[in-house]
Amino acid sequence: MKRILTVDDSGSVRQMVCFTLQKAGYEVAEAVDGKDGIDKAGSGKFDLIITDLNMPNVDGIQLITAVRKLPGYSFVPILMLSTESQAEKKDAGRKAGATGWIVKPFNADQLVAVVQKLVK
Amino acid sequence: MSSETRMMPSDGFEKARGDLQWLLRTTEEAVGALVTAFGELTRDTDSILRLASAIVDCVENENVRSIMPSVQALGVAAKLFVNERLQATSGILDTVTTETKLLSQLSQVTESQAKIAVEIKILNVHTKIEVAHLGSVGVGFEYLARELAEFSLSLVNSTDELMSHTNHHKATNEKTQSMLSIELPRLREELARVEFSLNDDLEVMNSGLSKLSRTPLQFKQSAEEIADQIAGVVVAVQGHDITRQQLEHVQEALTIISSKLTATHDAIEGADSDAACGHAGFAIQISQLGAIRTTLSEWASQIRTCMGSILRISASELVGVGPLVLEQEQSMSSELVHIDSLERECEAYGEKLSSTLDGISHLSDLVKEHIQKSESARNRLRLLTFNSVVEASHLGAKADAICVIADGVAEVSVEWSKISEQSGSALKEILSLSNRINGVMATFSQAGSEKLREAQAQTKTGLEHLQGAASFALTQGKQIETITDRMRARSIAIETASQLLDSCFGRIDLVVNTLENMKHDLEAIHPGVKQKYDEAEIERLFSACYTTQTEREVLRSALDGTVFSGLSQASMGNSVELF
Repeated sequence: MKRILTVDDSGSVRQMVCFTLQKAGYEVAEAVDGKDGIDKAGSGKFDLIITDLNMPNVDGIQLITAVRKLPGYSFVPILMLSTESQAEKKDAGRKAGATGWIVKPFNADQLVAVVQKLVK
Repeated sequence: MSSETRMMPSDGFEKARGDLQWLLRTTEEAVGALVTAFGELTRDTDSILRLASAIVDCVENENVRSIMPSVQALGVAAKLFVNERLQATSGILDTVTTETKLLSQLSQVTESQAKIAVEIKILNVHTKIEVAHLGSVGVGFEYLARELAEFSLSLVNSTDELMSHTNHHKATNEKTQSMLSIELPRLREELARVEFSLNDDLEVMNSGLSKLSRTPLQFKQSAEEIADQIAGVVVAVQGHDITRQQLEHVQEALTIISSKLTATHDAIEGADSDAACGHAGFAIQISQLGAIRTTLSEWASQIRTCMGSILRISASELVGVGPLVLEQEQSMSSELVHIDSLERECEAYGEKLSSTLDGISHLSDLVKEHIQKSESARNRLRLLTFNSVVEASHLGAKADAICVIADGVAEVSVEWSKISEQSGSALKEILSLSNRINGVMATFSQAGSEKLREAQAQTKTGLEHLQGAASFALTQGKQIETITDRMRARSIAIETASQLLDSCFGRIDLVVNTLENMKHDLEAIHPGVKQKYDEAEIERLFSACYTTQTEREVLRSALDGTVFSGLSQASMGNSVELF
């Protein structure tokens, strides 16, 4: 079963991501902020990471930068899931190594479709 | 710097912050409860969908729809069965009525024959007297006297026996007529009932089975509808995260405004510009709170509607699949039981009728015998007449009296022939009626109900399939009911959490009111404060923490003095971009 890490400081968003992806047949782990996300990514192997942008301690951009440096994470898809839709923010995410950007609130079917496309 | 500014109540900020904190805590608590309920609800819904899917599969596998032709065949066979028996009963009643009339005629004829027997006896006595009178010459007539005596005795016995059987048979016929006159309307009623009830049952069953055959599609639609509602909740719950961020940003903005207003209190220079910044900040936060109120209202109502729909769909359409299968099975079983009992009743009635009409075959044997006896009596009488005339002519004048007796015998013989003819035709008709009854009675035999039995067997096979499906549906249905009961209990938790969210609107209004008052106070202390702010500075100051497009658009509207009319489609989320 493919493993996905969801990183978000909002418990309800994490729950919705978990619910949607578990229903689609994925194993989902949760991290409560960027720092927790980096720790979890370092201690386990994930096939995809979905991260929020604005989080306490370590934000989404910092998380991507740090995770890309971890062994085995160079090509792991990382999706930003944020309320932000500004082009400059997206550009920053892309430069940091994000694979894609989804603006909240996400649609369950569309999230699953994107994940299926990225995780084969 | 005015003294009024220093007088501005700092507790206004505290109150607004306190209210905002309460809003953050309360929405978090309500959404937490809703998300928990949602998780449980979706697990329950999944279970219901699995159970309902199994019922639908079972209905499809058992090919329940194919049962309809066998039920229709059963209906036709049952109607034919009752109709045949109705016609047979009607035929028997007609026959028995005709036979009763014939028996009356036969009684009259038998009475006439009895009279002739008496007349022959009288002639016998006269012959004996004449033989005695003639002495040795009359020896030849002793034979005639003996023959007449024997003949008269045999006629009396035969007519007595026939009379007794005719009377007995008349009584039997009356009994049969009475039984048939009760049975006939009952059968007519039964035929009408079978026709009506079967048509009715078939219609109900047809509509039920059509409904059942639609269940896979309905199930699919329900499952899709539930999936849509679940997707709606997923989106709505994320709305809370957006609201939370926006409330936090209002809190941060209040800190900025507070520090700006404190600066107006302390600074000698730039007090007006700080007051203007604070004033613009109040206006922006009031607009932000308006947008938050709208967003909160939207997602709270969406959660409530979607969860309500999930409950409604799960509790109605899917729960109904099991009982529907069961209803069909019960309706068909009861019709089969009724047809079974009808068949048994008809068999019992046939047996009763058969035993009642047994006497007919006995009578017909007797009738045949009586016809033979009548024929032979007529021949004997003719022979006796001839013999007595021949003997009398030998004796000449001495035998005048014997001639008179011989004439009497000849008359009786003619009369007998006439009566015998009448009784013969009546007896033959009785015989033919008896044969007709035997033919009609064959309808009540086993062979007559073969078609019905065949249709019953086919329907029973179909019913076994339906019973299998119904029994499965019943078990699954009970589990679905248990789950829906649990779901109903969850709806209370959902309602409580929704009410908690409803209470947030009043608190937002309180914050707006507080900010409005503080803004008015500021206007009173710093007249012309509206025009004195630096727009670029204001935007930089307050939008730095913004994380949503809504907040930026609301800020722009507030600065432009326009009303925020909602987000553009592109900013409403669910936009996916792969790099």
